[in-house]
Amino acid sequence: MDLNQPPGENYANPKTCFFHVIFKAAALAFYILSALFIDNFVILFVVTVLLTALDFWVVKNVSGRILVGLRWWNEINDMGESVWKFECLDQESLSRINKKDSWLFWWTLYLSAVAWILLAIFSLIRFQADYLLVIGVCLSLNIANIVGFTRCRKDAKKQIQQFAAQTFASRVSSTIQSAFSVV
Amino acid sequence: MSHGDTIPLHPSSQSDIDEIENLINASVQSGPARVLPARPPSPPRASIPISTSSSPFIQSNIAPPPQKVPPVPSAPPPPPPSSSIGNNNSGFGSPPNTLTEPVWDTVKRDLSRIVSNLKLVVFPNPYREDPGKALRDWDLWGPFFFIVFLGLTLSWSASVKKSEVFAVAFALLAAGAVILTLNVLLLGGHIIFFQSLSLLGYCLFPLDVGAFICMLKDNVIVKVIVVSVTLAWSSWAAYPFMSSAVNPRRKALALYPVFLMYVSVGFLIIAID
Repeated sequence: MDLNQPPGENYANPKTCFFHVIFKAAALAFYILSALFIDNFVILFVVTVLLTALDFWVVKNVSGRILVGLRWWNEINDMGESVWKFECLDQESLSRINKKDSWLFWWTLYLSAVAWILLAIFSLIRFQADYLLVIGVCLSLNIANIVGFTRCRKDAKKQIQQFAAQTFASRVSSTIQSAFSVV
Repeated sequence: MSHGDTIPLHPSSQSDIDEIENLINASVQSGPARVLPARPPSPPRASIPISTSSSPFIQSNIAPPPQKVPPVPSAPPPPPPSSSIGNNNSGFGSPPNTLTEPVWDTVKRDLSRIVSNLKLVVFPNPYREDPGKALRDWDLWGPFFFIVFLGLTLSWSASVKKSEVFAVAFALLAAGAVILTLNVLLLGGHIIFFQSLSLLGYCLFPLDVGAFICMLKDNVIVKVIVVSVTLAWSSWAAYPFMSSAVNPRRKALALYPVFLMYVSVGFLIIAID
């Protein structure tokens, strides 16, 4: 590759990054193009929502795991309550995640949500309620992923802090105990 | 002086030590509480060892994606409008290694969950009396597919205004599911929002079948018969879950709107020509 770049600068998972981006881009592109050129709402709706749903699935199950090592889901426990679970890799794997991968992951996530919001504003201005329906569905899928992964990342950070605090605390207490035993 | 507790400590250092001890106890207790750190896979997995520089947990994933992800779009049940769960109870009893499983495993898991949910909800089975257990792994993939299929079938059968028919059918079903769930919740019922949405979506399967048959055969009498049969089937499928979620005296209040929605969908199917 390029000798001037320090090692590890390139994407570690180019295929996953590609799929992460392609469905979002395809959904946005298809929506815009068919809103302009094709007069068939059903096709626009079905294909756009299908692409967005595929993108949701890919991000949630594949690229979230591979690019940033996070995962979230919902379970119903034995008491019949719904529990949201967040999962992350352990510390050393997390630190080995490619920076470019995670940069791409988060930025495309946010950018596509912003793009859908802009399209929503356009269709609001034009008073097109059925296009708003499509955008609503796509936007809710994108936001669900954003919220899920952001909470997952916060949980991961909290876990790092807890881990660090625990290690620090155990070291400090053992130091104190040894100090007192000497005195 | 070997006993630390006989030394009069400065009050702030005593509280510091207490705090540190609390931290230790808290972290020990709350360790496995919510976030489950997954380890890179140590058990043998059927994966092709790739000599890349990426960390071990990626190894089992690089091999499948190039071939497996493209077939995903063509698999019949497409993904959901809302969250799908990757259920952790893989049956192995170990903490979830779903972070590191190959992509094809995830796809198969989701597909099999849709099929099993469908069988639980729509067909007679011994778990019907315990609805909480039956739809434990709810997912919205199945309902999404059924709603879209119903909309497409109705739109295809319509000779005019196809787009409006589709949009109306989709909006009616989606909004109807949400409102019916809110209805149960407001009646003081114990039901989980997404579980109920999932259930109402799966109960559309008989109406899907009915709409498909009506699309093929355009005779009014046949349509009425088919729609009545599938309507009864849908209502029968939805009955145990809805009725057990609320107070027995309010059962009718919870069930009537469900029946009403299915009746209106049935009329939509009959009326379209």
